[in-house]
Amino acid sequence: MSTQSRMTPHTRLVEVRQNVLKKNDLQARALRERFADAGVHVVSLVSSPGAGKTMFLERTMTALSASHHIAALVGDLATENDAARLARSGARVKQITTGTVCHLDAEMVERALDDWKLEDIEMLFIENVGNLVCPSSYDLGEALRLVLVSVTEGEDKPLKYPTIFNTADVAMITKLDLAQAAECDRAVLRANITRVRPGMRLFEVSAKTGQGMDDWLEFLMLRASD
Amino acid sequence: MHELSIALCIVDIASEEAEKHTPARVHATHLKLGPLAGVVKEALLSAYELACEGTPLEGSQLVIDEVPGNVLLVSALELES
Repeated sequence: MSTQSRMTPHTRLVEVRQNVLKKNDLQARALRERFADAGVHVVSLVSSPGAGKTMFLERTMTALSASHHIAALVGDLATENDAARLARSGARVKQITTGTVCHLDAEMVERALDDWKLEDIEMLFIENVGNLVCPSSYDLGEALRLVLVSVTEGEDKPLKYPTIFNTADVAMITKLDLAQAAECDRAVLRANITRVRPGMRLFEVSAKTGQGMDDWLEFLMLRASD
Repeated sequence: MHELSIALCIVDIASEEAEKHTPARVHATHLKLGPLAGVVKEALLSAYELACEGTPLEGSQLVIDEVPGNVLLVSALELES
């Protein structure tokens, strides 16, 4: 259905035809080129609030920080709490506080990187603001986008928020240690993810117990060396 | 609620185009919007009004043409002549 306007007799149309997110797309493309030139592998994380992004990232970064130069940007509306948590891994971390904005965009990422020398970083993680809707519209120049969904969120999450699953490369089922308590039917959750995005690469982890983390880290290192 | 950010981008694009046609006033900005763009039409309409405040587009309408796919495109400006 379309809501065509009735043009009044005294108006004229001039064609524009410009993608609304063109500016962000161009900035993201420039970032992607900069990352490639500097040899930085960039991984972004999106999920609803409380799906376990920070815990998962803390575990991932702790596993890598002894042998690799890693860094992270973390987005939230307020507080520096997550940056403080991630900094415990020993990596370089910067918080981006967005105020009232519900997502990161390429310009915020670019600004945050201003005083960092990209050549010194092998892998950069970008933790987006917890939100399953808005971040899907904004390319950040990342090489790999992870969408996290925890076993406590209900098996139909992917069906309710298909767009974010469609913009991500990898799905990560988190909080595996709580699956039984939350009565999560993991087979249904997995099936719903692949229904939205057939063939999507999928991992199941518990950042708390470490279950499944080795498979993920192996995959990540392989992707980074491509 | 990223509709305000989207609305600000729309107003930027429209203002840039409108400048080329001064002194003609913008009557409406025409947008093509697909269901997979992740933007809520009603929220965008109110955000547009806010985003126009204090710009030459103040008082103009946003006309949304619903199309398939993930399209999010300023298609045209409707100018008062």
